[in-house]
Amino acid sequence: MLVLALGSCFVGLQVAFAQTNSTVVNNGLQTANSAVEAAFNAVSAAEKAGANVTNLLAQLNNAALLLAQAEIANRTGDYNTAVARADSALLAAQPVTSSAQTAQQTAAASSQNAFRSTIAYTIIAAVVFVTVLFTVWRWVKTRYMKNVLEAKPEVPG
Amino acid sequence: MKLQDFKVIFIVVGLIGVLLIASPAFADIILAGAIPPPPSGEPFSELYLLGPTHVAASYPYNVAGGQNYLVYVGVGDHVGSSAYYMLYVKFRNGTDALPNATLGTPSPLVPLYEYKFALQDGAYWESLLSFSVTNASISGKQSMVSQLTINGLRFNVDKPSVWDPSAPSFSYSLVFELWLFNASSNAFQYNNRYVSLLLNLTSTA
Repeated sequence: MLVLALGSCFVGLQVAFAQTNSTVVNNGLQTANSAVEAAFNAVSAAEKAGANVTNLLAQLNNAALLLAQAEIANRTGDYNTAVARADSALLAAQPVTSSAQTAQQTAAASSQNAFRSTIAYTIIAAVVFVTVLFTVWRWVKTRYMKNVLEAKPEVPG
Repeated sequence: MKLQDFKVIFIVVGLIGVLLIASPAFADIILAGAIPPPPSGEPFSELYLLGPTHVAASYPYNVAGGQNYLVYVGVGDHVGSSAYYMLYVKFRNGTDALPNATLGTPSPLVPLYEYKFALQDGAYWESLLSFSVTNASISGKQSMVSQLTINGLRFNVDKPSVWDPSAPSFSYSLVFELWLFNASSNAFQYNNRYVSLLLNLTSTA
């Protein structure tokens, strides 16, 4: 009776331990997945803002590789490896997000400055061009009028 | 030439000149997204499988238990921007469902192995995958693959197969499914791209 009671306790503990393990792994994987996805979204936004994201993607791929290894370890029942890899993936993804956000801000500011400069140069160049053209037009008009006024009428015959 | 003709010439030259001078600003406005650029073709992702000699030939087909086989699997990004991919490796027998290309749904099988990676537009990712049937049995017209090893990791699969006299083979296949991360739904979605490597179990050891 005592042996049976102890046995059932042991089985109960094992089930509880397995459930805890599974919960820890699933939570770890979910957190790591969210972190890598957030990092990708940040890199994508930086790319749209015009930043060079080659290095960021290389760092992101390290995190993604660790995450895939964690998912595979979870499937093979190697929960310790799954948790360790998921934690590593999380640690690898977080700096990518912050670097990508900085890169996005820098690229956005840089492209805004470049846009403002282009608009300013365009306005200055257009004003100079129109002024020169108008001056030439005035000169042509004056010469034309002068030629007309100085012309002597020819009487045939 | 009359003065009015000169005036018209000056106005035309003036307009053309102003347009030319302002063209870099117009280009910036277009690039900034104020006017969407014309589409540069249909965006798509490429999924390919190559044999052990890195060409589309000599694919492993007759598989003996305990032997190691190699294939290259690769993905190309042509979606117009960086993309985050997930590639599932699944193992099926002749009766398990393949992905449905018409409905765009993945195979209902549980994935064994997976890859996750991000690619820039125009870039390629490739990996060498090794696999072996590590635990299998053949009895008459029935076969059973209990364990499959992919890249050194063992997976319990327990897949039976019945001898198919039309092939003739104990038919199995490795299925590679491509999933793409959708930023708007914040989840991976099956990209309706898969390749299937047909296998015939010839012996158990």
